[in-house]
Amino acid sequence: MSWLAKFFPNVGPIWNGDNGVVNAVIQTLYMTFWTTVIAGILGIIIGVLLVLTDEHGLLPNRVVYWITDKLVNIFRAIPFIILLAVIQPFTRLVVGTGIGTTAALVPLVAGTAPFFARQVQNAILTVDPGVVEAAQAMGSSPLAIIFRVYLREGLPELIRVSVLTIISVIGLTAMAGAIGAGGLGNLAIAVGYNSSQYDVIFVSLVFILLMVFIVQFIGDWWAKKVEH
Amino acid sequence: MTAEPVVTLKQVDVEFNEAGRQVHAVDHVDLTVERGDIYGIVGYSGAGKSTLVRTINLLQRPTSGAVTVLGQDMLSLGAKELRNQRKRIGMIFQHFNLMASRTIAQNVAFPLLGTGKSKAEIQAKVDELLDLVGLSDRANAYPAQLSGGQKQRVGIARALASDPEILISDEATSALDPKTTASILDLLKSLNEKLGLTIVLITHEMEAVKQICQHVAVMDAGRIIERGDLVTIFADPKEQLTKDFIETTLQLDSALAAVVKQPTVQNLRPDQRLVRLTYLGESTDDPLIAALYRDYQVEANILFGDIQILQGTPFGNLIVVLSGEEQQLDAAFDYLKREKVTITAIHPEEVGE
Repeated sequence: MSWLAKFFPNVGPIWNGDNGVVNAVIQTLYMTFWTTVIAGILGIIIGVLLVLTDEHGLLPNRVVYWITDKLVNIFRAIPFIILLAVIQPFTRLVVGTGIGTTAALVPLVAGTAPFFARQVQNAILTVDPGVVEAAQAMGSSPLAIIFRVYLREGLPELIRVSVLTIISVIGLTAMAGAIGAGGLGNLAIAVGYNSSQYDVIFVSLVFILLMVFIVQFIGDWWAKKVEH
Repeated sequence: MTAEPVVTLKQVDVEFNEAGRQVHAVDHVDLTVERGDIYGIVGYSGAGKSTLVRTINLLQRPTSGAVTVLGQDMLSLGAKELRNQRKRIGMIFQHFNLMASRTIAQNVAFPLLGTGKSKAEIQAKVDELLDLVGLSDRANAYPAQLSGGQKQRVGIARALASDPEILISDEATSALDPKTTASILDLLKSLNEKLGLTIVLITHEMEAVKQICQHVAVMDAGRIIERGDLVTIFADPKEQLTKDFIETTLQLDSALAAVVKQPTVQNLRPDQRLVRLTYLGESTDDPLIAALYRDYQVEANILFGDIQILQGTPFGNLIVVLSGEEQQLDAAFDYLKREKVTITAIHPEEVGE
């Protein structure tokens, strides 16, 4: 272990503890996991809504489509670092506090759900319209078409866009340090960069890359498995 | 066959806006299809036939007009009633529209999902249908592993899963090679006979119509310009477009073009007549050509001959050079007319390429 101490002199002492490496990994995983789950569900709902209410959709509704579409665009346009600040009053309302790891979930979800919704919309639009028409001709209800055609036939593409989104979430969590959420990004900047401890930056980076690769690997494998 | 209409379209009109342009896809069409019929609707692409048949199951809502299917006024149905009614109308498509993520068995089972049927019941129905279309051994394959003809068989099995009384075939054989097309048409014909399934078949291939349809309508620019039973349409087409479609399968014009280049025709003697003889059904029982020589001493040189069997009725077209005395020729023509043979004189110089 001596080479570890030699090349990473600053990492050992902060390995454990509240502001330590292990805790930062846990915080990043925590934020990534819950953002993925909540924004995932919201994104699918909004994405499906966009497809349904589109003028060529199953339940065309100009007003609902227009409002949803514009909201998605607006939230996607806000730079995340600004969103973190702007959304704080709402965060306090929901979580009770504006800072910390859990509080960071609100801006993370707000920043991710619209992005994912657009991806879901595009993924569903890759489903052959002929298949949807066939399901309609067979007497399927819109709900049945959502679950048995859109989400099922679009699954390989949905997995691919989910991977893309999760990787983007991992990236966003790095900024959440700005509101005291901790995590690997915070470790790299607040500890590593500010104290010129480049070994801390490096270790943070390795963990982030590791997470990205694992997500990418599982996603590719799964998408391939469900594609026939 | 009792004349019970299962599909009645009255003054059905479909207009829609496409890229800022008003499209009049279906122009006040009346159509009645009777139970047990195989009704062909033929037309070039863009004629509006796909849009027209989609008004039957309301995949396309007409702008105006009335749609009655199996005694139900389709336009008065609520969403749920419409879905139930659609289960009585199967549909197959040019590009099959199978679900890539599901196996063949799962595709066929799709219409039965959520109908309250047990797994065992669904399984039994799927087995029966796959057996019917000859694909029992591919139950666990995915669509991507199948040939075009096999995919359409799956499409047919799926369309039949909810025991429909009507099957709409939307260019179902247009993406298939001629041999596969013939086998799919045979399958449709046998389903029509075995299950009493009424089939509305739209196509741009007159050959498909000729093989299995009892009635045919010709569509152009959103209108049905000519309709009738198959034999009448073939024997006596009125509209130029109908004639063009028939030509695509009989190829008489191209035969004629080849015939007139022959030396026999080029050097026609004054006592020779180049004619086309067309006959339907019974008149073919009498040995015409033999009778011409036996009774009138008129020699017939057959340059081209084609006999189609339409709905069990022979339909013959002969291009012949008849040689004989003037009077004998006239008598022979009278005889042919009595035998209900249509005689059309051909003037070689007027035959185009």
